[in-house]
Amino acid sequence: MASGKKQITQLAQKLFKLSFADGRLSEERVAGVLAYVEKNPPAKPIPVLRAYGRLVAIEVAKGRAVVEHSGPVADSALQSIAAAMTGRYKRPVVATAKPNASLLAGLRIRVGDDVYESSVSGQLAALSASA
Amino acid sequence: MLSLLVIAEVTGHAAEAAAPHAAGSANALTQITDAFSVNLSSLSAQVFSFVIVAVVLWYFAFKPVLATLDERQKKIADGLRYAEETKTRLAAVQQENADILKRAQVEAAAIIEQARKAAKEVAERETAATTERANSLITKAQEAIELEKQKMLAEARTEVARLVIATTQRVLAKELNDADRSRYNEAAARELTSV
Repeated sequence: MASGKKQITQLAQKLFKLSFADGRLSEERVAGVLAYVEKNPPAKPIPVLRAYGRLVAIEVAKGRAVVEHSGPVADSALQSIAAAMTGRYKRPVVATAKPNASLLAGLRIRVGDDVYESSVSGQLAALSASA
Repeated sequence: MLSLLVIAEVTGHAAEAAAPHAAGSANALTQITDAFSVNLSSLSAQVFSFVIVAVVLWYFAFKPVLATLDERQKKIADGLRYAEETKTRLAAVQQENADILKRAQVEAAAIIEQARKAAKEVAERETAATTERANSLITKAQEAIELEKQKMLAEARTEVARLVIATTQRVLAKELNDADRSRYNEAAARELTSV
């Protein structure tokens, strides 16, 4: 059972590595990998594709900065955030806005598993935790 | 009896004293004996029989009586001595008893004193232990009360903070307008991009 999971993970990682072109995740390569798997399905295709999709989603999330906000956000602010994250992670990062009224005011940025926050609700939560 | 012996003795001495003068006094003696009707042969027989009676009495009457008297006297003396010894021994025994009683009283007094001292020490130890236990309980109770107080204060502080924050959130949600939020978002963007 454990060896089956390990084989699935190893196969998904191999497919994931094949999805890169010039050090970046390529849509064409991903489409090619999916076509190959469709044409030559492995022993357990669904678990392999699920693991592969998770790896791709993580990689995509690393190139995307989700900016949660309450109230209007200027495009220039989103661009400056994208530029700052691109410089920080040394790879192209695209900023996308996502309204979140529970922040009250301010921003919360998610890049992959990393979270950067400067919001009123965050400061109140920190104040509540320290009380 | 003794008077007869004395008369005989006196008569003997008179005869002996008259011996040198026998010649002269023989006649006088004869006259006297004749005058008193004394017969020498019968006197000698009487003296002899008297001596025999005296010896017999001595051996068979006086001597046993004297022996009996000596024995009784000895018994009385022994009894007196025994009584004296008994009295002395009784006195010694009484003295010894008195000494034993006195020693027993002293020992009893010492034992009672020792027991009293031991009881006092035990009581003091018990009192000290009880006091220590009571102090320990009081200290623990005070600590528990203090902890409870601190816990209550912390809970109250947390609750107050929660209420304040909840109220602040509600107020800010109502009071902040888009312009305020926009300004805050720009400031936040600057802060996050400058990190």
